[in-house]
Amino acid sequence: MRKTLALLVASTALTATLGFAAWSATRESPRPVAALSEDGTPALPLILISDDDDDDDDDDRQGIWRGHDDDDCDEDDDDDDDDDADCRGGARNPAPAGSKLPPQNGLFGTGAPPQVQVN
Amino acid sequence: MKSLLATLALTTALTLPGLAAARPVTLTTTLSSYGGDGAYLALYVTDPSGAYAGSLWMAGGKSKYYEHLTDWYRATGGDTAQVDGITGASVGAGRTLEITLDLADALFDAGYTLHVDAAVEDMRDSPNEVAVPLTTAGAGTPVKGRRYVSSFAYDM
Repeated sequence: MRKTLALLVASTALTATLGFAAWSATRESPRPVAALSEDGTPALPLILISDDDDDDDDDDRQGIWRGHDDDDCDEDDDDDDDDDADCRGGARNPAPAGSKLPPQNGLFGTGAPPQVQVN
Repeated sequence: MKSLLATLALTTALTLPGLAAARPVTLTTTLSSYGGDGAYLALYVTDPSGAYAGSLWMAGGKSKYYEHLTDWYRATGGDTAQVDGITGASVGAGRTLEITLDLADALFDAGYTLHVDAAVEDMRDSPNEVAVPLTTAGAGTPVKGRRYVSSFAYDM
């Protein structure tokens, strides 16, 4: 009987100790998402993503081209095959060389088509 | 008959200089290895007063990016008719664009200046990357651009 009582007391004490430690840990760190990455490095900040893609605040017209989709004339923004035809509601792309004579701006002589090559 | 011959001679005399008043000019633009996407380039000319005279070439076919060719865009308002028939693909870093155009003689030794504006996605715009006076003496002399053009020259 004494032996049973001793075992009961010991197991209760052990359970209480472990339980208290676990409970304390959860109380001290009320950041369930951040706790997942707590390995000595600072947790990554939570970034709230808006569905508003307007990035005018960082587009200082100094070279940031992305974000021109508001006046996009084509479906694939990454290709540059220069074969886009006129588009509705946006700026017209110019006629490529060879498809039309150079403009009559007084700079060109006989209107011969330009020869171009890229090496 | 004599008057007909005289008229013929006169018209020939007037026409020949007009035909000869142009020459093939090769514009060679070499880009540096700037480590970005293909560059848009606008090649255009200003007159002795600095006013826009016209465009010679546009490298890059999408007009929505032309606003980044700042000086050209300001001068033309982005009018794509200015570059109809003289537009090609953008030019990759480290590549050389060589264009041969039939240019009027009147552009040379008359105070005209050839400008190159450059722009690259996600990099800084470079208006007036190159500005060279058009002179016969300056032909064949390479000049360096400010940011993306490692060398530019015109030959005739």
